[in-house]
Amino acid sequence: MRLVHLFLAATLTLLLSACGYNDFQKLDEQTKSAWSEVLNQYQRRADLVPNLVATVKGEANFEQETLLRVVEARAKATSIQVTPETLKDPQALQQFQQAQAGLGSALSRLLAVSENYPNLKSNQGFQDLRVQLEGTENRIAVARNRYIQAVQQYNVLARSFPSNLTALALNYAVKPNLSVANEAQISQPPAVDFQKK
Amino acid sequence: MDLVRALFRVLFRALGLQGLLGALLLGSPAASLAQSPQPIPALSARVMDLTGTLRADQTQTLEARLQAFEQAKGTQIVVLMVPTTAPEDITHYAQRVGDLWKIGRKEVGDGLLLIIAKNDRTLRIATAKTLEGAIPDLAARQVIDRSITPRFREGDYFGGIDAGLTALMALVTGEKLPEPQRSEPGTDWTGALVVFFFAVPILARIASALLGRKGGSLLTGIGMGLLAWLISASVLLAIAVGLIAAVYGLASTVMNWQRHSGSGRGSGGSGSWGGGWSSGSNGGFRSGGGGDFGGGGASGRW
Repeated sequence: MRLVHLFLAATLTLLLSACGYNDFQKLDEQTKSAWSEVLNQYQRRADLVPNLVATVKGEANFEQETLLRVVEARAKATSIQVTPETLKDPQALQQFQQAQAGLGSALSRLLAVSENYPNLKSNQGFQDLRVQLEGTENRIAVARNRYIQAVQQYNVLARSFPSNLTALALNYAVKPNLSVANEAQISQPPAVDFQKK
Repeated sequence: MDLVRALFRVLFRALGLQGLLGALLLGSPAASLAQSPQPIPALSARVMDLTGTLRADQTQTLEARLQAFEQAKGTQIVVLMVPTTAPEDITHYAQRVGDLWKIGRKEVGDGLLLIIAKNDRTLRIATAKTLEGAIPDLAARQVIDRSITPRFREGDYFGGIDAGLTALMALVTGEKLPEPQRSEPGTDWTGALVVFFFAVPILARIASALLGRKGGSLLTGIGMGLLAWLISASVLLAIAVGLIAAVYGLASTVMNWQRHSGSGRGSGGSGSWGGGWSSGSNGGFRSGGGGDFGGGGASGRW
């Protein structure tokens, strides 16, 4: 009798490892930690914005509209909370991405406009913040990239045979990924535009 | 008939062929659009100058500095000089290099890259995550602006790199990192010990089967002594190891003769040979494989 149990347990273990159950768990955790890193870096950027705004405010007659847009974009980006449910919902994810992309473009606009102000350009505090912002944008790009790869791995497992049967049985859905078109826009270094104004 | 068709459809879906087709369709235009990026050279030294800018003695000086620093502090620093990183910007290129080489100790992950694209006149200091605290982006930018680029503008590449390394090493030294393992660059002693205790009895048994008990243990002693001499380059240590091996070999054969009699199964320990010695005998530079580059660091131009 014990032998039968042992045999059953062994077969079950083999079956479980063959159908990719453990791989699902591993990759699921991997996507979660990759997503945490993405959030972490977005938060880091959001934390930099108040300092940046304060420094720029010190500059007399700085374009108020640009500044206001950054403040609004930050408020919008930080107001969207990301829960595990959001990750499963493509639309919520899309909203989150749009808000963050909005902050990204408002910031790059701010940096572009700041080129018109010689005082700001020679302000060490502003230059320091600029370097930090650059580094953070870079980290965001890396973190997003890693999340995209992690989701890709998970999705490949969820869609290929025979692990897709496991996914079917246990209701592991394909995860929505970050959109790539946005990625290109975000990972671009802030451009300096001399045409405007 | 319908049943068969339905079955096929289910099978088709289960095999994930749709996904495969979709991936093929999506994948091909993206691949053809992208201009092929610069290849990343294989990591072979701490200072890799692909532009031929540095003189051989300058490369050696820098290499020696970096090696000494790794021995003292454990942190791996690599300088890579390439002609250009086009079509990528240096940030992306540095990221790929970091992801591929993974410079930094395995458990600590303290790696640092200084990448210079000479014709693009850009450079980047890339820090692994462990060192993001020791060298924040601002500090990296200051090293670039104050130590490196002023010298690069005058065409003094060696001076710029040297001064930059001095500043970076000072920053890393200020950080509390785990001590480097002293014996790591030399010999892997745990591996050697394991091999010693497993190999000696087996060798001794084989040798004594051929030459008798005394001759066998003598041969084992001489053999192990020679090996120890080869690895550690110390005669004293070699003699000590030889003596111990001879006694240990004799003891183990005596015990074996009492337990079983005759030749033993000799193949059991042979697997550990390669692993034990190979890590010790490799004198060249290897990445620790622990560096995780998350985009930290700073870029600059001159």
